Amino acid sequence: MSERSALELTEPPGVRFDHLFEANYSAIYRYCARRLGRSDAEDAAADVFTVAWRRLDDMPEGDARRAWLFAVAHHVVGGQYRSRERRSRLSTRLEQTTDPNNEHLELAGDIDNLLTALDGLSRTDQELLRLSSWDGLTRTEIAHVLGIKENAVDQRLHRARNRLKLRFDRLDSEASSPTHKETPA
Amino acid sequence: MIELLERADPAKDLDADRGRLRGKVDERIGLSAPLRPPAIARIRKPWLIAVASFAAVIAVAVPVALRTDSPSVFAPSLDGLAAHPGVQAAVPLASGGLQAMDAEDDTIWVMTTLQNVLQEVSAESGEVEATFSIDARVEGLVIGGGRLWLISPDNGGEVLRFDPERGAVDLTIPVEGVPGWAGWLGDSIWVSRDQADVIRISTEGEIVDTVPGELKGGEGLGYLWVSDPDTDLISSLSEAEQLGDMVIPTEPGLETMSGSGIRQVAEADGRLFLLDGDHPWGTNLNVFDPDSSEFGAFASLTFGLLDLIEFDGYLWVTSSSDHLLIRIDPTSGEQHRYPLPGKPAGLVVADDALWVTLYQPGALIRLDTRADLIESSPIVADDWNRFPHRLLCTGSGDAGGPTIILQPSDWIDYGSWSVIQAELSGEGHIVCANGYVEGETTPKQQAADLEEALTEADIPGPYLLVAAVDGVHSARLFAAGADDLAGIVLVDPMPVGFQGFYDDLLPDLAGHPPWLDLDAELSESLDDLGDLPLTVIEQDPNAVFLSPGFVEGFGREAAESVDAYWQRGLAFYRGLSSSSRSVIANGTGLDMVTWDQPDLVIEQVLELLRR
Repeated sequence: MSERSALELTEPPGVRFDHLFEANYSAIYRYCARRLGRSDAEDAAADVFTVAWRRLDDMPEGDARRAWLFAVAHHVVGGQYRSRERRSRLSTRLEQTTDPNNEHLELAGDIDNLLTALDGLSRTDQELLRLSSWDGLTRTEIAHVLGIKENAVDQRLHRARNRLKLRFDRLDSEASSPTHKETPA
Repeated sequence: MIELLERADPAKDLDADRGRLRGKVDERIGLSAPLRPPAIARIRKPWLIAVASFAAVIAVAVPVALRTDSPSVFAPSLDGLAAHPGVQAAVPLASGGLQAMDAEDDTIWVMTTLQNVLQEVSAESGEVEATFSIDARVEGLVIGGGRLWLISPDNGGEVLRFDPERGAVDLTIPVEGVPGWAGWLGDSIWVSRDQADVIRISTEGEIVDTVPGELKGGEGLGYLWVSDPDTDLISSLSEAEQLGDMVIPTEPGLETMSGSGIRQVAEADGRLFLLDGDHPWGTNLNVFDPDSSEFGAFASLTFGLLDLIEFDGYLWVTSSSDHLLIRIDPTSGEQHRYPLPGKPAGLVVADDALWVTLYQPGALIRLDTRADLIESSPIVADDWNRFPHRLLCTGSGDAGGPTIILQPSDWIDYGSWSVIQAELSGEGHIVCANGYVEGETTPKQQAADLEEALTEADIPGPYLLVAAVDGVHSARLFAAGADDLAGIVLVDPMPVGFQGFYDDLLPDLAGHPPWLDLDAELSESLDDLGDLPLTVIEQDPNAVFLSPGFVEGFGREAAESVDAYWQRGLAFYRGLSSSSRSVIANGTGLDMVTWDQPDLVIEQVLELLRR
């Protein structure tokens, strides 16, 4: 056991929890917001930290804590996410596409197509890409959150990115096709 | 693309209200509110697992590694297997989770993982010689030094030494890490650990040494082969623990997969062939020539590649997703694809023949590789590069008539139809097996995907739908939106709401997906198909819910209740059309009809075509 972790274990649980909360609340909140939308993110994040408080003694040491916390978030969000999936997609899309400061319309169009392409992927693919690109987790952390081997993370990410690109390219070519019809508003 | 994805993050500029969030957390902690339970992992087909579990309990409720009389009370009928072209023998095994096998001379050892049953089969007689119960989850099996070495992830990773003479595990060796591939070389067993190093264990059970790297399956050119986790290169491992006599330049950037993606190796024609088990786009069989030190792409096969061995001058590869045995000429690269009558799990050579274990149904089959095996028909369309799901269409279309669509279910994926597809294609029909490569989906999504795939691949109607078990839901939805449907064959169809009913009856086994609102999903399907030709192939109740195993496991009252619900569902399906007929698949059911009686399915499809 490292000197630091030994010291941490001697701290009162409340202090240890405070450290944990301060270091991770923002990332966990964003994780939840990405999957549930802003309105439900706070409650879900609060659930995550409530679980963390109750399982403080089970928590791994050091860097593995972050992955452990994301794994809890993955479980907490999972139940809500599935039933609210369509709504969350809508809310996250709205948050993205109504950004008034976005001056790059072409980029905004690409991002919109990319999010549409992302929506069309399997749930596993979406989660892998979000964990990697949005939540900034390492392959080790992703492996822990999803309960798979690290090598599998690499392979699955590779495939997910390929599939995302295929769908994105298809949307892109449809959008640029002269026969493409705009859907009436 | 990655950069654009990062920019698309909808929450990248989002800040939590720290004070309010902390307030909510403190409130919940202070109130000691009951915890929200973590989402229950989705269990597919809980009743199947339940039946298998009871079968296992009945079969293996004996002390460790004692011989048992019966491997399984739920062994399927093997009528369909024995009649399959090229199958010389079909040995019923304990069903469920066949994951490990090895052979020496004319003896084959098979470990059925989910049931913890080890079986000894004589390749000469095709009979099960002995069955042993092993008190561990075993995921690997290697023969060497007159013993069996069973690789288990239990207790932090261990190797069990099994003495076939005594029929008992006589030594347990902790390996302190997650074991992976294992192989026998020289006088030792070599086991991959934590994908990081390879440990060498003597016949006495002592860990002699460790070498860095991750072991691959198989052997070739007199070596085992490992990939270096730092460089991702594959190098040879000699009996003298010497690494790197040969190093294969498998670095990323080549057309071929990196070293970490290589699954198995085999030697043929003086060269080393390397199989990438899961590389859907591009080459997944590569070759290394030790004379020139050249490494390159050799063949593009398909998904779900499991095993690679050399036999009779050819390379043989199994695909668990396509249910194929692929024969490859190591010189010319010519391929022949043989549909297997089940989902393969292991491949060995014994008694001068190829033996394949079938995960579904639980069986070991001996193949006559020189016989006229079924040859897959020409591929009309294969859209695997365009969709996360797959539409594989075969056949000449010479027979005319509708295109036959084989619709998947949870456990009857597109490879499960391989024999039926091959036979119907052979009759001159165009037959499309539809299915998902990975990921979860819903009936509505499946129906939409099928429509899209048929349009994009330009597969002509009219269509004859063949749907199994819960694939019936997506088939009904597809039928509602199709105006060129020639008929429907439902194979062992699952009643609407059955999963929920089952979960309510046996809540301890509940595992239905909470995210799927089936009523909403099916709101657009039709309850009246008019006079559309419809055939319902029904499971045999006496082989499933009223079978002795189920009744013993759950009690007669529950068994009869489940069966009554199922029967009401069948009546509903029969009533969908005024032109319906039904047949019972005697002796089988519970997802097994396509495995046990493929001939019945073929016969009923052809009958409907004639109607």
